Amino acid sequence: MSVSTLVLLLGAVGVLTFLFRYTMIGLVAGRTLPRWVHALCRHIAPASFAALAASELFIHGGEVVFALAAPKPWAALVAALVAWRTGNVLATIAVGMAALYLLKALL
Amino acid sequence: MGLRLKEFLAGCRDEAPLQLGVIPFGMLYGIGAVAAGMPVWLAQLTSMVVFAGAAQLVIVQMLAAAAGALPIGLTAALLNLRHLLYSASVAEHVRHLPRRWRVLLAYLLTDEAYAVAILRYTRPAGEAGNGVAGNEPQGAGPDLRHWYFLGCGLTLWGCWQLSTALGIAFGARIPPEWDIDFAVPLTFIALLTLLVKERAGQAAALVAALAVLALAALPFRLGLVLAIVLGLLAGAAVARESGK
Repeated sequence: MSVSTLVLLLGAVGVLTFLFRYTMIGLVAGRTLPRWVHALCRHIAPASFAALAASELFIHGGEVVFALAAPKPWAALVAALVAWRTGNVLATIAVGMAALYLLKALL
Repeated sequence: MGLRLKEFLAGCRDEAPLQLGVIPFGMLYGIGAVAAGMPVWLAQLTSMVVFAGAAQLVIVQMLAAAAGALPIGLTAALLNLRHLLYSASVAEHVRHLPRRWRVLLAYLLTDEAYAVAILRYTRPAGEAGNGVAGNEPQGAGPDLRHWYFLGCGLTLWGCWQLSTALGIAFGARIPPEWDIDFAVPLTFIALLTLLVKERAGQAAALVAALAVLALAALPFRLGLVLAIVLGLLAGAAVARESGK
């Protein structure tokens, strides 16, 4: 992507993000959001993070690749176990990175 | 001490502990942005213009995966849609303020600033901070809680800019074979396990993850946007089933 496209893209995301933040405060004062917006918004973060993690781990060049010898999915699995047991973001990153280096040395 | 300053500083103080979680994120974004080939000035400017941690990390990861501009924009916009909820939630408290205040506070309305500031609005005006430090006699003074909100927002803003700059400075010196950008999906995994406590959220995550693999062949990573939307619908459907 060229730098000028990137500038336009990031500018558009910035403007949209501000509009989301400003809409209820400044633009449509005294209105409430419909229930279905609340219902959908609650699941945006889990859906996005799951899709992004799965795509980073298993999609390469537009194809789904499940390689047993690839270190990243295994390191991610170790990290997921740490996240599940500890609920600690920093510990998850630290153990996941350590697992990646170890697996890269072994595999 | 003036009452305005007192509210402002109380906001800064109450926001400070959250920065332990924010600073690594900002550094990770800075490192990832440089690794994805973003010019340094643009990486820093994005932290000012977009000012949304999760969306910035997503943009960086999609750039690194050579996604198209439209899917990146759609995914980031979807992710930031939740700010509409925060906006609705604080609206009644800031509606009386002049426009320049509302614009400024809207710009500073992030997850972490919202989380702290909204708690202040559950306590009456004229009682600065978290209610522990106030040992001066409190009357029914003017509502200065927006100064507290400002303190929260500016503390977060400053830390975000600083940690971005640190990440950029570090990122340029880290060799690519260290795979430091792998920390971004690890972060998503960590946040996912924290967020997904109930069945509806689990359904949203599972459907989105499976759908992204099923739709992998779509160009420009458009499958990602579709997968997130399918995940949202699955989550909403399960939530309706279980009657919540």
